[in-house]
Amino acid sequence: MKSAAILLGGWILLAIAGTALASQTMDVTGGWVREAPPTSRVLAAYMQIINLTDTDLTITGISSPDFDSAELHRTAVENGVARMLPVSELTIPAAGSVLLEPGGLHLMLFDPVRPLVQGDSVTLVLHCSDAISLTLSVPVLRNTGEEHVHHHH
Amino acid sequence: MQNTTRQATRKRFLIGGIIAVFAMLAGTWSALQLRDRTGHVDELAATRFPVARDISAFELVDHRGKPFNNASLQGAWSFLFFGYTHCPDVCPTTLSVLNSVAQQLGSDAGNVQFVFVTVDPERDSPEHLARFVSYFNSDFIGVTGKSEAIEVLTKQLGVLSMRVAGGDNPDSYLMDHTAGVFLVDPDGKYHAVFMPPFTAEKIVGDFGKIRSAYQ
Repeated sequence: MKSAAILLGGWILLAIAGTALASQTMDVTGGWVREAPPTSRVLAAYMQIINLTDTDLTITGISSPDFDSAELHRTAVENGVARMLPVSELTIPAAGSVLLEPGGLHLMLFDPVRPLVQGDSVTLVLHCSDAISLTLSVPVLRNTGEEHVHHHH
Repeated sequence: MQNTTRQATRKRFLIGGIIAVFAMLAGTWSALQLRDRTGHVDELAATRFPVARDISAFELVDHRGKPFNNASLQGAWSFLFFGYTHCPDVCPTTLSVLNSVAQQLGSDAGNVQFVFVTVDPERDSPEHLARFVSYFNSDFIGVTGKSEAIEVLTKQLGVLSMRVAGGDNPDSYLMDHTAGVFLVDPDGKYHAVFMPPFTAEKIVGDFGKIRSAYQ
């Protein structure tokens, strides 16, 4: 019982340490999840991920308690065909940033555990290769249509 | 088997590429033509064909369960987009842009229709499409049909689509698909195509030029 409490305490300490470490390691701005039409159970999240350190950071996974699964994807337009490419690792350059935006890199969120509409917020966790993770809360927004479709090479 | 499928896919994309290159060349030429005729020096972002192309007979169904065929494309300009309702990124983005186009055209939009054709008829029934298109604009038209019937239209426009896995749930599959917006003139002929990246402003601007050249 006592050892279980110590173990639990250890985990909490580790979790706090991890969060504190992450907050000095990277930052996210402008995060949002696009409200899905009533027919879709797949949503996309966009944001800018900033590396606050002097070394490259690699994001190796995404998770969320609000969805069955989450993946990092990139839409690539080749010969006019929009292709969905899974991205297994995303490197955020030292002291640089990477933009996730409509028509480009995005987080793909599958099967929300509850219906999500504008005004809700969801929790997303970005996992880095060196056991660092960053937990975010981002709003669900309805797209207003004033955005552009970009593609990247 | 897997290799054969991959080769077939590659071949499809290669053919798509060749079609796209031809379309671009045709578009460059037609942009020059349009400039000569109107005296303006603006270039079109759209690819406009020197001669509008006939669309041979197709028979589909709209989101209200009514027939959608060649006759449905006559008497109005039609913006056609191909996608699927479970599409998380490109389709909602494009339909939002098209909604902005509709708003910017204002009363002019009376002679313009916006048509979303699914490349995923397995999941996209008329009822499903009705909920999807009305989410973006209550005037948008959703179109579906049997795969073979949809192919009659997509093949003519050079639209490609392919199912790809996504997520842990097999029902959450994704589709790669041609992301162009196709413009059909009031004669029901394939007139021009817009390729991403596009903005509502560019589409409205080009459409105005194309329409005045047509009249």
